[in-house]
This record gives sequence, structure tokens and C-alpha cells, in this order.
Amino acid sequence: MKIVVLVKQVPDSGAERNLRADDNSVDRASANNVINEMDEYAIEEALRLQEAHGGEVTVLTMGPDRATESIRKALSMGPDGAVHVLDDALPGTDYLGTSRVLAAAIGTLSPDLVICGAEATDARGQVMAHMLAERLGFAALTGARKLTVEGAQLTVERQTEEGYEVVTAATPAVVSVWDTINEPRYPSFKGIMAAKKKPVDTKSLADLGVSADQVGWGGSATTVLSHSKRPARSAGVKVTDSGEGGVALVDYLSSEKFV
Amino acid sequence: MDFSLSDEERAIRDTARAFIRKEVVPLEAELLRRERAHQPGLRRDELRELQARARAFGFWGLATPAEYGGMDLPAVLQSLVWTEIGHTLVPFRFGGEADNILFYADAAQREEFLVPTIEGQRISCFAITEPGAGSDAANIKLSARRDGDDWVLNGEKTFITNGNDADFAIVVAVTDRDKGVRGGGTTAFLVDRAMGWRSEFIATMGEGGPASLVFEDVRVPHRNILGEVGQGFELGMKWIGKGRYIIPSHAVGIGERALRMAVDYAGTRETFGKKIGENQAIQWMLADAETELEAARWLILRAAWTVDQGLDARHASSMAKLYGAAMINKLVDRVMQIHGGMGYTRELPIERWYRQVRLLRIYEGTDEMQRLIIARDLLRGYTKIGGHLA
Ligand SMILES: Cc1cc2nc3c(=O)[nH]c(=O)nc-3n(C[C@H](O)[C@H](O)[C@H](O)COP(=O)(O)OP(=O)(O)OC[C@H]3O[C@@H](n4cnc5c(N)ncnc54)[C@H](O)[C@@H]3O)c2cc1C
Ligand SMILES: Cc1cc2nc3c(=O)[nH]c(=O)nc-3n(C[C@H](O)[C@H](O)[C@H](O)COP(=O)(O)OP(=O)(O)OC[C@H]3O[C@@H](n4cnc5c(N)ncnc54)[C@H](O)[C@@H]3O)c2cc1C
Repeated sequence: MKIVVLVKQVPDSGAERNLRADDNSVDRASANNVINEMDEYAIEEALRLQEAHGGEVTVLTMGPDRATESIRKALSMGPDGAVHVLDDALPGTDYLGTSRVLAAAIGTLSPDLVICGAEATDARGQVMAHMLAERLGFAALTGARKLTVEGAQLTVERQTEEGYEVVTAATPAVVSVWDTINEPRYPSFKGIMAAKKKPVDTKSLADLGVSADQVGWGGSATTVLSHSKRPARSAGVKVTDSGEGGVALVDYLSSEKFV
Repeated sequence: MDFSLSDEERAIRDTARAFIRKEVVPLEAELLRRERAHQPGLRRDELRELQARARAFGFWGLATPAEYGGMDLPAVLQSLVWTEIGHTLVPFRFGGEADNILFYADAAQREEFLVPTIEGQRISCFAITEPGAGSDAANIKLSARRDGDDWVLNGEKTFITNGNDADFAIVVAVTDRDKGVRGGGTTAFLVDRAMGWRSEFIATMGEGGPASLVFEDVRVPHRNILGEVGQGFELGMKWIGKGRYIIPSHAVGIGERALRMAVDYAGTRETFGKKIGENQAIQWMLADAETELEAARWLILRAAWTVDQGLDARHASSMAKLYGAAMINKLVDRVMQIHGGMGYTRELPIERWYRQVRLLRIYEGTDEMQRLIIARDLLRGYTKIGGHLA
């Protein structure tokens, strides 16, 4: 089975993140950039499938030069190699443009399965899997909390607000995963030392046959017009306990629909 | 001059960091609860279980050669990993380690002592200090007298880390009083507890405590000599040399975490209608703490780098140990001051660090002994002002 895992480098969601004042884009230069958390689950799922069914796992990233760090980290978990789409025309690319580029790169790899995170922690679009499936003509199995493969038949438990749905499809398919699907492994010491020797194929837009005016600021169908900081947290409600404290707390929680 | 980490160094550091954060830090609340109830914070079986989990992804034996299944990391990386370990209060360490001098063991001793220690099946302790010989380690008196195929040990060791739990001790004993300690008159022995020594717990201001070891006519077979007859003091100094960059590396991790707490507190605690961090008095404590933390970090990494270059690291390591131990004591003191009364309570880990780090100025060479080494080297012209760049 040939698997492509999508890995996006994002600013660490555990630290302070900002949008840039000049072009409303994510400020990546000042951030500590890490692998999008959900993508670690995607990598883990791909590796487990490889361990069970054999085949090959390739990491695919579209991102700037420094995304190499995240590619190496992904490779240290075990995948066989990576493709890095790197091009000066890419900054500013929106969802549509990103999906165009990623679909073109996936096309050159002809995988049976594409696995990605259900969302990236920076833009939180939850759209990439659907867009890619549409462009590639693959089945879209999104929001998986469980994935089973039998031959060319894929079954996922698709996580919903109320529970889960069981959805099946045949390969080729795009599967997006939530963090409920597995527990990602740590990069192993051997994996870390081997990562440098694994092939990373850098591709430009020209290599993929995507023209520069289909991406970047100019090629984007959407524009972020303005942004503002989330308002500071309000002071909250103080309940003075004069014997009735417990009741007041429950009243508050139920008024906010927590209970 | 490049002060950055290679991709591999960063990946190893980050993996250690992720493991500590996800698997070890969550045990802290329980650790503090147990310690307040005067129980061991982390049981040995729990430590071994954590170590086994790290072993599953190859984090095992930081300093141990690959032939024994270890990572065999360069000193700089060992230092970086120990800094990560310092981020948690839990007395965690990666498994697969053995005292560096155990690698001087012969083939039979390797099977009996070295391998089981690496595997965590046996617990060692290293004993040189005596009631009458600490800084002046050359004054040790515990004697070993040859008797046929055996040696008979008599005397007392004190302040021995792990001495309560160890099932064997590496003991430096006087084997030839005439030659003197530095002249080849001492020898290191591998002594099973079953051979008859006993240990007595010593309560300290820290959690847990060392032990004194009592030897009364303890018979040790000749084959249990570690290294050569006469090599005891030399091995002892090798054992101590290693700790001199590891100990302050750990302290840097404690410092990073404690300083982060102080920065956060300074940014939230309000007095007189403003954040305490808006006062210059608090800002200067933070500034000094970070400056000294960074100074220590680079002294330590330079010492570790010196080891990796195969150069004599004694001088650099003494500076790292001296300055690192002083730094963390001042830093924790400032962090407590910034936290006011809260800092003094057992709600927060600061008082625990305060007790813990005081030891670092005392064991494995006191501040004064480090200064003695540094000054002696300078006065004798053994080292140049300016270090390796001179
Ligand atoms: C406010 C705002 C600012 C933005 N600023 C920028 C900017 O400065 N520069 C810029 O390039 N884009 C920017 N974008 C666009 C956005 O980051 C991209 O469209 C993004 O690559 C796709 O959206 P997502 O990650 O939210 O997709 P999601 O659908 O949430 O992602 C799902 C999965 O798709 C995969 N995936 C997504 N993107 C990539 C990728 N690039 N490479 C490999 N796998 C991927 C991952 O596996 C991810 O888990 C911005 C968007 C917004 C809303
Ligand atoms: C918790 C703990 C764990 C330990 N673990 C071990 C272990 O595992 N194995 C082991 O062998 N030992 C161990 N030690 C012993 C430790 O190394 C000694 O305590 C240390 O070397 C100091 O020796 P001392 O206590 O005899 O102090 P002393 O040597 O009696 O020194 C007392 C004071 O005088 C100063 N001083 C001494 N000589 C001079 C001088 N010439 N000039 C200026 N000042 C001087 C010292 O710096 C110190 O301030 C441990 C100690 C402790 C507290």
C-alpha cells in the first residue's frame, strides 16, 4: 500500500500566536514552528498501516524553507521519504490554492491512500481533505477516529458531535484523522539518526505544472481583509457563598449549558 | 562560531522534552503528595516502568556504549538531555546507565556487575567519602588487608548516594598505606551487600537521603578488584569528573522552569494597583536570573564540548560546576522572593527546589574545592586565561 501523509508546519499552539499587521497572514517568523499536532496522528496511522500491510509512506509538505525541520521530525518517526513543495510564489496561498498544489504533488506519487489531519491548528479550516478528494477524484473519508483496511476496502468510524458514523470506500481515498485515532509514537533515537539520510524531494511549482498565478496572494480566491485580537477575558461571575453557593454554581453552569 | 543545534541534536532534545512533558511531569502532583506524607515520591518500580517506556523508542543509556544497547551520546547532548530532565520535579533519569568507572570492569565483572546495573537489575553506589575525609579525599582510612585470595575491609564510608538501596558498592579502600593515596596506595573494590556491609540512613534537608556504610571484617575476593590494584583514587576522580558537567546541566533545567514561573507570576500578581513585574526591583531580579542562567548554560556546554573534543575538561568542568551551583541557588532564591509568601508554601515546588539545590554547592566537590582546582591550574600555568581560545 502506498500512503502519502500530509504534514503542515504550524506555529506552536501552546505559545502566543499572532497575525501580521501588514498582510493579515499568520506570523510564522516570530513563532516556534512545529508539526501540526493532528498530523502526528496521521503519520502514526500511516506507519501502523505500513507495519500491518507493508508498502511505503511518503510525507508531503507545502511550506517555506524552515518546514524542513518539521519534515525531518516527521521522517524520524519512521516514514520512508518526503516531498517538499517549496516555491517563492507560494506565500499567501489560500485553501483553494494549497489544495491545487498538494493535489498536483499527490498526483505525481499515485498513492492508494492520502492521510491528513482533520484540521491544522493555525487556520483550522477542516477543508483540505475534501478539497483534495474533489480535485483528485478520490473518496473522502473525513474526521476518522478509527480506520481499518481490508484489501482495497477502507472503513472509518467518522467522529461526530453525537457519536460516530461508519463509512466505507474503496481506495484511492483521502482520510483525515482526529487525535482520538491513536497515540503517536515518539521519534526513536535510531529514527532521528536515520532521518537525515532519507530522501527529501524538493519540488517547485514548475515541477508540478502549477503556474505561479494560480497561487500566492494574486492567485487566491479569498482575501483576509482585517483582523483584531480576541477581546481580553471578562472578569467572570463571582459567587459569594452564604450557604447557597452550591445552588448558585449549578444555576450558573446550567444557564451556560455546561450541565 | 556556531551556537546552534544540529537537526539531530534538536530532535533528540525535543524528543526528551516531549517525553518529560507528557509522561513524567503529570506525576508531579502525586510526587508532592507522597513526599508531604513522608513517603518516597517515586517508587523504584515506577521509575523502571517509565524508563522502559523511553527504552521502547531508544532513549536508554545516554552515556552507555552501543554494544551495551546505549545511545552513546556525546557529552554536549547528554548535557542537553539532563537540562530537559531538570524541567520536572520527579527524580527521573533515563535508564540503561552505569557508573562510568564500571566500564573498567573485566569480562567476568561485566557480566556480574556492569550489565545488570545497565539493565536496572542491580543498583550500585560509589563510596569514597568518609567521616574524616570529604574534600580531603586523599585522607581516606578504610583499609583493605590482603588475606590469601581475599581482601578484608574495615572502616566506614559516609554520605553515599543510593547507599540505602544499593546491592553492591564500589568502594575505594587503602591497600598500601606506605604508598599514600595519590601514590597508588588505594584500590577500588566491587563489594556485594551480601558480603556483609550494612548501611544507615542519613536524614538531610533534601528528599530521600544518603547512607553511611559500615565495613567490619568484610571479606572480598581478589577477583572483585575494579581496575588494577593501586588504581582506586584515579578511578574515584574519574567518577567525580563526570558529574561536574551533568549536575549543573540538570540545574539549568530547574532554572528554566523556575524562572518561567517567576516571569508568569510577575506578570499576574498585583500589588498597589499594578503588576509586581512593573517594579524595577522585580525586573532586576528577573534580568539577573536570566543572565546568570545563560552564563551557566554556556560554561556548561563549553565544558561538555571540551570533553567531546577529547581535551582535558577538568578546568572547564570545575568552572561549570562552581558557577552552575551558585547560579541555581541564587535563581531559586529570587524566584521564591518574587512569589512572596506563596513561594514559601508547600503548595508550590519552589521550597523543594530551595532545599534540593543547596546540595549542589556541597557534593561532588564543594564550591571551595572547585575554586581550589581553578586557582591551582592558573597559578601553576596548567591552563591559560582565555581557555581553549587563548
Ligand atoms: C487568517 C489566515 C491567515 C493565513 N495566512 C497564511 C500565510 O501567511 N501563508 C500561507 O501560506 N497560508 C496562509 N493561510 C492559508 C492557510 O494556512 C492554508 O490554506 C493552509 O495550508 C490550509 O488550511 P488548513 O491548514 O486550515 O487546512 P485544514 O483543512 O485545517 O488542514 C487539514 C490537513 O491538511 C493538511 N495540510 C494543510 N495544509 C498543508 C500544507 N501546506 N502542506 C501539507 N499538508 C497540509 C494537514 O495534514 C492538515 O492537518 C492563512 C489562512 C487564514 C485563515
Ligand atoms: C547528599 C549527599 C550525597 C553524597 N553522595 C556521595 C557519594 O555518592 N559518594 C561519595 O563518596 N561521597 C558523597 N558525598 C560526599 C560529598 O562529596 C562530601 O560531603 C563533600 O566532598 C564535602 O566533604 P565533607 O562533607 O567532608 O566536608 P569537608 O571536607 O569537611 O569540608 C567542610 C567545609 O570546609 C571547606 N574546605 C575544606 N577544605 C578546604 C580548603 N582546603 N580550603 C577551603 N575550604 C575548604 C569545604 O569546602 C566545606 O565548605 C555526598 C554528600 C551529600 C551531602
